[in-house]
Amino acid sequence: MNDVADNRLFQLRDVPEEPSTEAIEQFVESLPTENIKVNIVELDFFYGQNQALYRVTLAIAQNAVTAIVGPSGCGKSTLLRVINRMYALYPGQRAEGQVLLDGENILARSMDLPRLRSRVGMVFQQSTPFPMSISDNVAFGVRLYENLNKSELTARVEESLRRAALWNEVKDKLDSSALGLSGGQQQRLCVARSVAVRPEVLLLDEPASALDPISTAKLEETIVELKRDIAVAIVTHNLQQAARVSDRTAFMFLGRLVEYGATERVFNNPRTRRAADYVTGRFG
Amino acid sequence: MSASLALFDRRGRRRTANAAFVVLCTLATLIALMVLAAILASLLRNGLGGLTLAVFTEDTPPPGAAGGLRNAILGSILLCLSGMAVAMLFGMLAGTWLAEYSRDSWYAKTVRFVNDVLLSAPSILVGLFVYVIAVRPLHGFSGVAGALALALIAAPIVTRTTEDVLRLQPRALREAGIGLGAPIWFTIRRILWKAAAGGILTGALLAFARVSGETAPLLFTSLNNQFFSLDMLKPIANLPVTIFTFALSAYEDWQRLAWAGALLIALAVLTINIAVRIIASRSRHA
Repeated sequence: MNDVADNRLFQLRDVPEEPSTEAIEQFVESLPTENIKVNIVELDFFYGQNQALYRVTLAIAQNAVTAIVGPSGCGKSTLLRVINRMYALYPGQRAEGQVLLDGENILARSMDLPRLRSRVGMVFQQSTPFPMSISDNVAFGVRLYENLNKSELTARVEESLRRAALWNEVKDKLDSSALGLSGGQQQRLCVARSVAVRPEVLLLDEPASALDPISTAKLEETIVELKRDIAVAIVTHNLQQAARVSDRTAFMFLGRLVEYGATERVFNNPRTRRAADYVTGRFG
Repeated sequence: MSASLALFDRRGRRRTANAAFVVLCTLATLIALMVLAAILASLLRNGLGGLTLAVFTEDTPPPGAAGGLRNAILGSILLCLSGMAVAMLFGMLAGTWLAEYSRDSWYAKTVRFVNDVLLSAPSILVGLFVYVIAVRPLHGFSGVAGALALALIAAPIVTRTTEDVLRLQPRALREAGIGLGAPIWFTIRRILWKAAAGGILTGALLAFARVSGETAPLLFTSLNNQFFSLDMLKPIANLPVTIFTFALSAYEDWQRLAWAGALLIALAVLTINIAVRIIASRSRHA
């Protein structure tokens, strides 16, 4: 009846329902090794007795945006929270495997966590302005590890706010409370605050899910801008967003990495049935 | 026909029950308010007349002589402030530990339970306790002992509110500070305490209002002093015990001063409560 649709169905039927680990590895395209910033190798993650991630292997590239997509509860945020070891705040959560940042295993017991987190920044779903002035918000992280004089600090604050596309809106009220900003502005302030410490990796956990379309567009511009200098990983529910901003897309399902590759390829020509169903909106 | 009648009947019964409930609630509120109004009215009627300038400028007199409550007012302020300083120090640290560090261990649960017991401990027991540990061994009543007793009453309140307000802060705020590379203690001190400041201050003011009227613990600790003294190592005058002594006396001028003192405390507590409401609403809007 409809050749295109029939072809497509045929294609999908070819794909194994539950890909084996070897099959997944086939679907994961390799990255040029010199370009890998974070290399996650056979990562298992546990919330107490419950396993949330199963042997996840994923490389996050330098100067690229990596999107992590998948239905709710598939382990996207969990994966992100391993990369800066945020999970270590909570008793009973543990990760097994390897997460290599520039070749160094950050899951090692001896890891200096505050140092690690200054290298791997994070922006959360809920905007979290600190109860202080806009410029103090941006300077907060900088003051922790760098000893800048006043003019250097002012310059850093301006530079960070510019990179987060917020400077023009706040340049006349840097000393007023950050709590007075709109939701979209607060979220970009959080980006500026993270960027200010000059991290090597920036993790974004559904950063635009509470934003209006205009703020979202600005934030996305910022994300694309950021990859010129650093590696960016973004967890998102919004597939269009993943398609717009990311270079590579990882699709996760029930704690497993099901498919990983160039964003265009994963969206247009998914190789697993789950990913195909998800990107065509059949579930999720 | 009969079905719709039954429906009407059931609806009617519901309406009657609802109306009765509203009337009962309103009556109960009214009774409580009337008692409060009666207390305030008698305070105003009896206290307002005695509230002269001399109350603030002269010390407590011997029976029959003219005088005021200056030493008691200043003594009370001194006792409450020093008691609150101690309570804030221990209460804020304990509340912070419970909210941020305790990780709900059995030890934390025990501490929280004991703190809740202390919250409702009869204040006279606190007085007796301090009498045993700080008055008898040192062979004398003292302002320090009084401040200690007040601190013991206020600290559980401060602990509880600090813990509650810190737990109300979004988890993401904590993680945002830590995510920038700040150590946990630094995040607590610079971000969480700041975000929770309104709530902690509210708790502190409520504790202050509570201890400013406490009589029982002071009877056993700071006792009273007829003369002006700010020496915390000696017995010290204070409003509650002065009111207690004067109100029970047979002298009319002493009774008048007792009423004036009672009115003063009521006004102070009222002012503090209004301040709490203003601070609380401001920190909500900030």
